[in-house]
Amino acid sequence: MEISSKIESSEYTDLNRVIGWFIILRWIACAGVFFALLAAYYLFHYKLHYRVLFLFNGLLFLVNLVFTIHYSLFRRGNLSRKEMSVSFNLQVFFDYVLLFFLIFFTGFLENPFVYFFVFHIIMTAFIFSSRVVFLYVVVLISVLVSAAAAEYFGFIPHFPLTVSGIYSYTNLIFIRTAGLCSTLIISAYLISSIKKRIEERGKKVEVELDHYKSLDKIKSDFILQVTHELRGPIAALKGFHEMVLKGITGETTKKTWDTIRKANRRTKNLLTIIDEMIDYAYIKSEEEIKFNRTRISIKDTIDYNLGLFLDTAAEKNIRFVSNCPKNLAVLSNRDLLNIILSNLISNALKYSPDDTTITVNAEKSNGEFHLMVKDEGMGIEPSKIHKIFDEFYRSSEARAIERDGTGLGLAIVKKTVESLNGKITVYSEKGRGTTFHIYFPEE
Amino acid sequence: MKNNRILIIDDDLDILETAGALLEYEGFEIHSADTVEKGIEMIEEVLPVVIILDVMFPEKKTLGFEAAVAIKKKYPEIPIFIITAINREYAFDFTQNDIKVEEFIDKPVDYGRLAKLIKKYM
Repeated sequence: MEISSKIESSEYTDLNRVIGWFIILRWIACAGVFFALLAAYYLFHYKLHYRVLFLFNGLLFLVNLVFTIHYSLFRRGNLSRKEMSVSFNLQVFFDYVLLFFLIFFTGFLENPFVYFFVFHIIMTAFIFSSRVVFLYVVVLISVLVSAAAAEYFGFIPHFPLTVSGIYSYTNLIFIRTAGLCSTLIISAYLISSIKKRIEERGKKVEVELDHYKSLDKIKSDFILQVTHELRGPIAALKGFHEMVLKGITGETTKKTWDTIRKANRRTKNLLTIIDEMIDYAYIKSEEEIKFNRTRISIKDTIDYNLGLFLDTAAEKNIRFVSNCPKNLAVLSNRDLLNIILSNLISNALKYSPDDTTITVNAEKSNGEFHLMVKDEGMGIEPSKIHKIFDEFYRSSEARAIERDGTGLGLAIVKKTVESLNGKITVYSEKGRGTTFHIYFPEE
Repeated sequence: MKNNRILIIDDDLDILETAGALLEYEGFEIHSADTVEKGIEMIEEVLPVVIILDVMFPEKKTLGFEAAVAIKKKYPEIPIFIITAINREYAFDFTQNDIKVEEFIDKPVDYGRLAKLIKKYM
């Protein structure tokens, strides 16, 4: 028989757990029946067929022992789909049969525990598809109605729970049967429809999740495409400029050489702007999510980022100095650290006069990871220092030195530092230089 | 004389021209292919000291990675430099472990540095 609809892999693990849960419940039921029979005998002195009842109790024990050994010892709580289906059907079948006989020999419809069939129907509806549940309900009701009728017409004996109840039992047998059967049908119907609704809602959530996943994929594909489409041509442009500047294309006049050098500088600026815009879009769109972190060597990261600007530094005869313990590593995000360092180094280079030094230091101190980027550049006016992290802000001095710029660089740096739970401070002296300090909490 | 042949595989003809000219300027003998297919075919006859390979091709965004795997399988001793305009892992994680190449280089390339790097593998 089929188990409820298709089994997804997560449901598959869940269903395996349900089998384990059923086995535990059956042990509780087994102990419950045992103590109930003892109580009936010693406390209430009911006249029951104890031998038969203890025999069924023993059978329940044995059946559950077999299920337990198979599930826990042989399969270690992990049944295959086919085994699961067989196990569920066998368990449910034995439960109904044993419950029927235990109830039948203890007063049948006069026994209040007859409503335990409702729990069984609920569990059946929980596991199986509506079609199978319908089949179980039909068979169960047929058996119950036949047994009640057979009792009523005297074809089979009634095993009363109490002697005093016999008269009222016969009188009420039809209403009791109707009550029980309708409760069973309603329970099966309610559980099946609730289950169906939950499944429908689950499917809707899955569809929405898929939708969001595809949106996320579109977004990263878009960033990939934009990055490629914008940076690719610039790479070619820079290559052509360099060919002229290096004399590969033949001799050039001083004027042509100067013109191409300027074109090359503007192209480099354009690249910085594109990188800033893409990084800005990325940081903005990912605000809500947590960035992946891996262990990153800080010395390698600093060297990589300084390496990106070696030719620009050489043009201005600017010296790079870096102090960082070789084994210093932090749990961080490589992209974000690159964004922070490349922006600060690029800024320092832009606003530093020739023949100066840019220092990048990193250390761990007082439970914090401290990064410092220091230049000997033009510095920032005290009245403007509070604005430098604002989006699109560019001071008039910065504009005078470098025409191109988005004014996003430091806004991106601040946002990126914050994404990594860090803080950034700036110290600047007009005409003496600027120092950025970044602090990250140690993981 | 030492082998100084470089094979560049990139679908951007301008990159092939500029990278070729600038690496030639640095003293290398340049062979180039504008498709992965042609590039792989050329390896046998060129036997380059380093293969410079782009990632994104019109046929597929990650064709370069697939090509790198195929080349490494047949010529494990030839170093591959992946060269790409994608400079952030969020756009594409090109440092993932299953891509076994010697170097990842961002476009635009600093050819002086690239030349030094190639010499390390010669």
